[in-house]
Amino acid sequence: MNDNILTAKNISKSYGRLKVLKNINLNITKGDRYILYGSNGAGKTTLVKILSTLLYADSGELSLFGEIIRRHSTKQIRALIGFMSHQSYLYNDLSALENLNFYANLYSIKNKKERIENLLKEIGLYHRSHDRIGNFSRGMKQRLALARALLHNPDLIFLDEPYAGLDIRAQEILNDIIIQLNKRGKTFFFITHDISKGFEVATRSGILSNGQIVYETKREKIDTFSKKYKDILLREQN
Amino acid sequence: MNAIKTIFLKEIKIEFRNKQMINNYLLLSVMIIASFRFAFSIIDFSLLLIASPIIWITFFFSGMFSLSPTYKRELEEGTCEGLLLAPISNSSIYFGKFLSNFLVILLLELFSLLIFFVFFSIATPDLVALFILIIIGTIGFAALGNIISAISSNLSQSEVMLPVLLVPILLFTIVISAISATSKIFEGAHLFDVMQEVRFILMFDVVFLAIGYLLIDYILGD
Repeated sequence: MNDNILTAKNISKSYGRLKVLKNINLNITKGDRYILYGSNGAGKTTLVKILSTLLYADSGELSLFGEIIRRHSTKQIRALIGFMSHQSYLYNDLSALENLNFYANLYSIKNKKERIENLLKEIGLYHRSHDRIGNFSRGMKQRLALARALLHNPDLIFLDEPYAGLDIRAQEILNDIIIQLNKRGKTFFFITHDISKGFEVATRSGILSNGQIVYETKREKIDTFSKKYKDILLREQN
Repeated sequence: MNAIKTIFLKEIKIEFRNKQMINNYLLLSVMIIASFRFAFSIIDFSLLLIASPIIWITFFFSGMFSLSPTYKRELEEGTCEGLLLAPISNSSIYFGKFLSNFLVILLLELFSLLIFFVFFSIATPDLVALFILIIIGTIGFAALGNIISAISSNLSQSEVMLPVLLVPILLFTIVISAISATSKIFEGAHLFDVMQEVRFILMFDVVFLAIGYLLIDYILGD
């Protein structure tokens, strides 16, 4: 059986004259926890947006769950994808419960009441369910954003700078959730610039530099990987 | 249909909570009507002649500035991508927002009409005909306003760009016909007397909704 969840072949993307991604090739298989590091402006967010069908590549081919992604044909695929961005995608004028209810309706989730309650308990915000999220701290919004991304029980979850704004306790909760969901067969792809975050939960790691994946590894020691990352960052600056 | 209803209810809830559009509209409409009242208080004029333009200019300009946050708010709060990631069509987003804008603007227009009758003592016309005209005029206004709000939300100075793009189109389609029909109604005509204008406005309603349906993928897409 083919376990490939995501296959990217020669993905390139430019904004005007600026070439942001250059021939990206990537293969994610079921159960992977792939973390991609890169400095600011390396093209991480553009890549994750293309992989999650939010943006379209200028050239190259993307397959998700065995289906080649084309414009206007992504509706079913999107139901299998979860995305947690550094933006929460939540409405400040709605309560935590109303926000999750809104997305649950868009995703036509069955048993939404139970699902939402469970998620709110899991992220530790059940007691704030009825509070408008405009008053929430950045960390609380991030936790709620995670609940939103997991609401429809997606098989592939993209996390864009998921640790931004989270305190140590919330980071631990996030890592626990990632590992628990991964045990249930969920696949993760996350991006961050901070080498001190997420490495311990990743099964595969890569480094994006100047629009290209310049290094990939499996279960390497953090010291070795960290050294490699610093070398690449230094090379970028020169 | 479920997605349209979900987006419609969300928009209505947010609108009545933060009241951004409602406040913009009420403030502007009262100021416009009051300005006309004071301007016309110093010259001799026929109320019947000016009633219709005042009503539609008030609806038009107050509504225009109120439409601006429709898509801009989604971009500023970063929620637009959340909607785009959901397994729904972009047209559901358009129609959900259109319906909510239509309903809120219609309610505000009825309130403005009340203010108008307070400021200008004028004989009450055929109200059914007037309401039908206001409803069909507002459909076209909200349909086109929504799509132009989506286009201009990405532009800098979007608050200025929305009227710049909206005025030339709406003025020569819906507003002129609505003013003409409303004038006749204030002069004692009934709905069947203004069927030509009604048909003209309805035609543009359909055209604007079709344009919105066809363009929204390109506007919200990559």
